[in-house]
Amino acid sequence: MLSLHNPFPTTPKPSINLNNSTPPFSTTFKPHFPNTLKPPKPHKPHFTTRTQSLLQYNRKPQLAGETPRVVVITSGKGGVGKTTTTANVGLSLARLGFSVVAVDADVGLRNLDLLLGLENRVNYTLVEVLNGDCRLDQALVRDKRWSNFELLCISKPRSKLPIGFGGKALVWLVDALKSRQEGSPDFIIIDCPAGIDAGFITAITPANEAVLVTTPDITSLRDADRVTGLLECDGIRDIKMIVNRVRTDMIKGEDMMSVLDVQEMLGLSLLGVIPEDSEVIRSTNRGYPLVLNKPPTLAGLAFEQAAWRLVEQDSMKAVMMEEEPKKRGFFSFFGG
Amino acid sequence: MAPIWTLQLHPISFQPSIWVSKHQTHLNFMKLRPEFRFISSSSKQLNRKFVLGANSGSPSDPDEPAVKTQTITVAVKDQLSKLHGTINSFPPLVFVMNRYGGRNLAIGLCIAIALLVIAVRVYAARKLRYRTPGSVADLVRRGQLRSDRRGISRPLMYEDPFNNPMVKVGKSNSTVEMCGKVYRLAPVTLTEEEQAIHQKRRSRAYQWKRPTVFLKEGESVPADVDPDTIRWIPANHPFATTASDIDEDLAQNNVYQKHGVPFRIKAEHEAMQRKLEALQSEQKLNNLMIDPRNAKDFERPFKEHPRSREQVEQSSFNNQTSDSMPPTSDPAPISVESNSSSEETQKL
Repeated sequence: MLSLHNPFPTTPKPSINLNNSTPPFSTTFKPHFPNTLKPPKPHKPHFTTRTQSLLQYNRKPQLAGETPRVVVITSGKGGVGKTTTTANVGLSLARLGFSVVAVDADVGLRNLDLLLGLENRVNYTLVEVLNGDCRLDQALVRDKRWSNFELLCISKPRSKLPIGFGGKALVWLVDALKSRQEGSPDFIIIDCPAGIDAGFITAITPANEAVLVTTPDITSLRDADRVTGLLECDGIRDIKMIVNRVRTDMIKGEDMMSVLDVQEMLGLSLLGVIPEDSEVIRSTNRGYPLVLNKPPTLAGLAFEQAAWRLVEQDSMKAVMMEEEPKKRGFFSFFGG
Repeated sequence: MAPIWTLQLHPISFQPSIWVSKHQTHLNFMKLRPEFRFISSSSKQLNRKFVLGANSGSPSDPDEPAVKTQTITVAVKDQLSKLHGTINSFPPLVFVMNRYGGRNLAIGLCIAIALLVIAVRVYAARKLRYRTPGSVADLVRRGQLRSDRRGISRPLMYEDPFNNPMVKVGKSNSTVEMCGKVYRLAPVTLTEEEQAIHQKRRSRAYQWKRPTVFLKEGESVPADVDPDTIRWIPANHPFATTASDIDEDLAQNNVYQKHGVPFRIKAEHEAMQRKLEALQSEQKLNNLMIDPRNAKDFERPFKEHPRSREQVEQSSFNNQTSDSMPPTSDPAPISVESNSSSEETQKL
């Protein structure tokens, strides 16, 4: 299993920086080791440094925009990864120290609680709150792993939400969360249902910004373009894109559109590029989102970076294209 | 220090050579001077005593100088054999040093590393032992208790996603190595002008207004409503039946409620209380009610008259008909009545 920490501190090297707002770090830093062991002697420089990682430990992104930031995660096409994105980005934000309320706005088909492993703890939903069966704080499910993350489901599968004031209900919900005693949450993330029907209209009603999740295939792109048009008609201008399920090997073999091609077609800023990862299915089965894995997977790292950019209202400035690995010569065995 | 174990092995192998050398010297001396006395078995003692025996055997010999030279040569030989014996008695150390001199350092290093590993493991085990198992920290770790309320938990360390040791950046900052694959960084080419062009294209392609009026199929359109903002709900839509179930103002108040009992629970509780009170008051009224059949016992006796007798007969007939159809709603009064009549008969 890969470990994140290199036990041998070496000279610092520059880190991969796809975010132009990353502050520069100083190289004159004493490494902090546990007081039980003496620091080992420095080895020859080969990996990125533990010193460098410790420098960046607990570095937090700078929150931009007014709180609460109401973000709707939508796509149009189903099955592209909206709920996975909501769960992972939401928990990443909670890990960064922000208070997050995730709302599953899919009235008939509820899934977000399954991905988070909270399905046994959902007793009340927004419909019960509207009916007066419980208060709003009783319907919010707090995650025991991260106490600043809460989940609210709109309805249970058998209950019905009046089609007339579904959108108004979400607006009241956001207002009620703003004025609660514990303080307004930093982020309210709404998981939008697929399609452009009543559920979509309900979900986008209170949103100020949107994250469009798409995959690099033509059907998803067409639906994403339509949804972007509807969002802009409704007054949501801050729309960013996450390209999910990217296969760099297929892009290299020209069997799949590249991320730059997708961006050229849609004309949206890039929030993140998530590679295809089989760990997504395993994490769904466990009810344990990807971003909590240690060591993190590639997809988990990508979600964390996307969450960072969301906080700072930034976008990607470069994408990674797979290349042929370098052919190692005879002397590479000796570290050359 | 290191080759101690080698010293233990080698003397055993060299015992036969010492034994052979003893016997060889013994046999040699027996061959050369068979007339001399053989006194002891050890080679050194044999040589010495042999010399002594030779000198004492013939004191007035004319060949005494020759004997002296012979003793000298024998003494020299004795010294040589003694030295030879000494060397033979310490073969292990010398032999091992000659043979294994180059590997001592490696063996020493291995042993030192093994001792260090053992020490580290013992230290780690001791440290683990000092942590009390089954403490509140375990509950926090399991997620049963919130960690942010407690001072015992360590602050959660968060690794920077932009600075991960798994990601190795090339010297020119244009290549990245991750999980055995090499990637090239390609800059994003979307400009603001291109974004504006796309927005214009979409605004022309997609004309949409948010629906504000929801009507069921078959209903008439109000006059002052924009037709683009009307959303028609099909009759078989699952949400169509709940259009007027919930009052909007009430729903809004329910969402904003922060304290106290939720509205519906409170309303149900109040309704149940009212029903209970109503039931209780009904029971009291039923207990206070007077049965007309018992009223006869309280009536004063009157003189019999033919007309009054007929009236009494009619009234008794009426009472009988009323008694033949007992009231089902209040069985309690009948039982009470029968008890009271039985009590009265018992008293009498």
